[in-house]
Amino acid sequence: MGLLGPNGAGKTTTINILCGLVKPDSGSAQISGQDCIKDIAHIRYIIGMVPQQIALFGNLTARENFTYIGRLYGLDSVTINNRSKNLLERLGLEKQADKRINAYSGGMKRRANIIASLLHEPELLILDEPTAGVDVQSRAMILQFLKEYRGQNKTILYTSHLMDEAEQICDEVVIIDEGRFIIEGTPQTLIKNTPNCKRLEDVFLHYTGHIVRDGLQ
Amino acid sequence: MKRDISGLLLLLVMPAALIIVMALVQDAPFRDYQELKFTMLLSDNDHGSLARQITDGLKHSKNFQVTDSIDGNPVNDNQLKQLLNKGEYKIGIVIPAGVTAEIVNSANIVVNDISKKAGITATMPIREMREQMYVRLYFDPVSKPAFRTAIGSALDKYITFSCTNILMQRLSMLSKGSSDNDTANKNDLRKIMQGIGVKEEPLNDRGKNMLHINSVQHNVPAWAIFGMFFIVIPIAGHIIREREDGSALRVALIPNTTLYVTLGKIIFYTLICVFQFMLMLCIGLWAMPWFGLPALYPGLHSWLLLPISLSIGFAATAYGFFTGTVFRTITQALPFGSVSIVMWSAIGGIWVPIEILPKSMQHLALVSPLHWSLEAINDVILRNGDVNNVLLPVSVLLFTGAALWVASIIISNKQQQSI
Repeated sequence: MGLLGPNGAGKTTTINILCGLVKPDSGSAQISGQDCIKDIAHIRYIIGMVPQQIALFGNLTARENFTYIGRLYGLDSVTINNRSKNLLERLGLEKQADKRINAYSGGMKRRANIIASLLHEPELLILDEPTAGVDVQSRAMILQFLKEYRGQNKTILYTSHLMDEAEQICDEVVIIDEGRFIIEGTPQTLIKNTPNCKRLEDVFLHYTGHIVRDGLQ
Repeated sequence: MKRDISGLLLLLVMPAALIIVMALVQDAPFRDYQELKFTMLLSDNDHGSLARQITDGLKHSKNFQVTDSIDGNPVNDNQLKQLLNKGEYKIGIVIPAGVTAEIVNSANIVVNDISKKAGITATMPIREMREQMYVRLYFDPVSKPAFRTAIGSALDKYITFSCTNILMQRLSMLSKGSSDNDTANKNDLRKIMQGIGVKEEPLNDRGKNMLHINSVQHNVPAWAIFGMFFIVIPIAGHIIREREDGSALRVALIPNTTLYVTLGKIIFYTLICVFQFMLMLCIGLWAMPWFGLPALYPGLHSWLLLPISLSIGFAATAYGFFTGTVFRTITQALPFGSVSIVMWSAIGGIWVPIEILPKSMQHLALVSPLHWSLEAINDVILRNGDVNNVLLPVSVLLFTGAALWVASIIISNKQQQSI
């Protein structure tokens, strides 16, 4: 599922509400039938959140980060070692696992950030612009990984400005703007049903307009 | 200007507050002890004219404010010692029973002698002169020697004045019948003048074992506390860095961990503070004599220093968490942390004993965690106090730490909500 929208559309706010980091002014949100306020402790076990910010301890190595985070999730050392080894290999960080996060490039940090969110094997992976500001190779590796992960019958909620990415990895997309739902469907259906559109980007511009949005943090 | 209110507060309000506090704190050392006014507890067991003159003289002096009754009852010796031992009063004076009779007897001896030489047959009743009697003077053990000397001298002045008054009254009675005042026995006169002295005594048996306050007894605990509170700087920096680099967000995303992670950090930093304190204590105990200074006297219940240092460490750590939570950037938090500790230490008696501070500052000292820290340690190393004596300061420190911690959690949750 791709959550698409221009700057300031409310993508990150929506994700923060789903993760219980922000309480909604009104209304409610649910994941797997669980309320995102009342049942947030349980929800946090079933989701893996990859925030835009690199949410890792910069002074620790990647392996130390994963050990610490895994322990906080209540995993035993063997499980942590096995899972982190597997994920490090798949995201091309196995040789750099014992280097401090502060020494990583932007792309490496992004990949390590994803691994940290997957250690507890969540049912739902939420990614907030996971490829923002990364080099082409890292981006390709991340997208390839996400395609494989999707293939393991896992659910991914994914936000991005990059429509070609969404077209590649999303079965379904939702376009939102100014905090409101605009339209949803498979990328192919949306392209087909929107006049004069050949790509998802055309659909996006059709519904959100060509006026530049300068989102505020 | 509205965009950086914290920065403006640091630049303008902080130095203003520092100037006021430091000027107030440093005011007393720039003045002589004789210019200051002290509250004194007085127990009068004599109830005679000499005791009355001493009490009235002290009450009307500009140096002393005398408290001779509490809740309508006269202060007794035990009550006086207890209150001083708790540190609630700094000075206590006990006028023993019979001092008036003693000075009157001494004066009568002189008067009779003069009468005899003048050929007057009438004599005044006399008895054997006793050993010298003393008006007993007690101090809170925390009081510095210079303070004790100044108070002792001032008190001696009032007592001598009162003795002289009584003698003069007796002599004036005699002068009506004789003009030969010069024949007064000079030795007896000297005895009268020295008849009632001032003598400082320890508050209790525990006091016999302890040292008077000295540079080591004050400076080792005082600056150890100051150093412990400086842990605010690395903690605040650490909290802000974790917020900036996103690792705090990672912990927030993991269920049921924030409390445990924070608790773990508090325990860790508190133990660092304890280690730091113990190291300073070792320096006081064993390194100070190398420099020709006396070794630190740890008190009769030195084991109490461990729970005390734990409570100080907890309060300091929680203050660091609070600072790191309230301020958004390290540039704001670090100057606030360091300057505020300097201010709390000045207010709390680390630099200058609070008994010589203005009354307003003495009240203000009660809000300084460094004051309670120093009180707790002084209870042990200066007053030889036991568990009961340190309960209050330790409780205040634990409460302060808990309050700051809870405030940090509330503020942090509000900040999270305003993302």
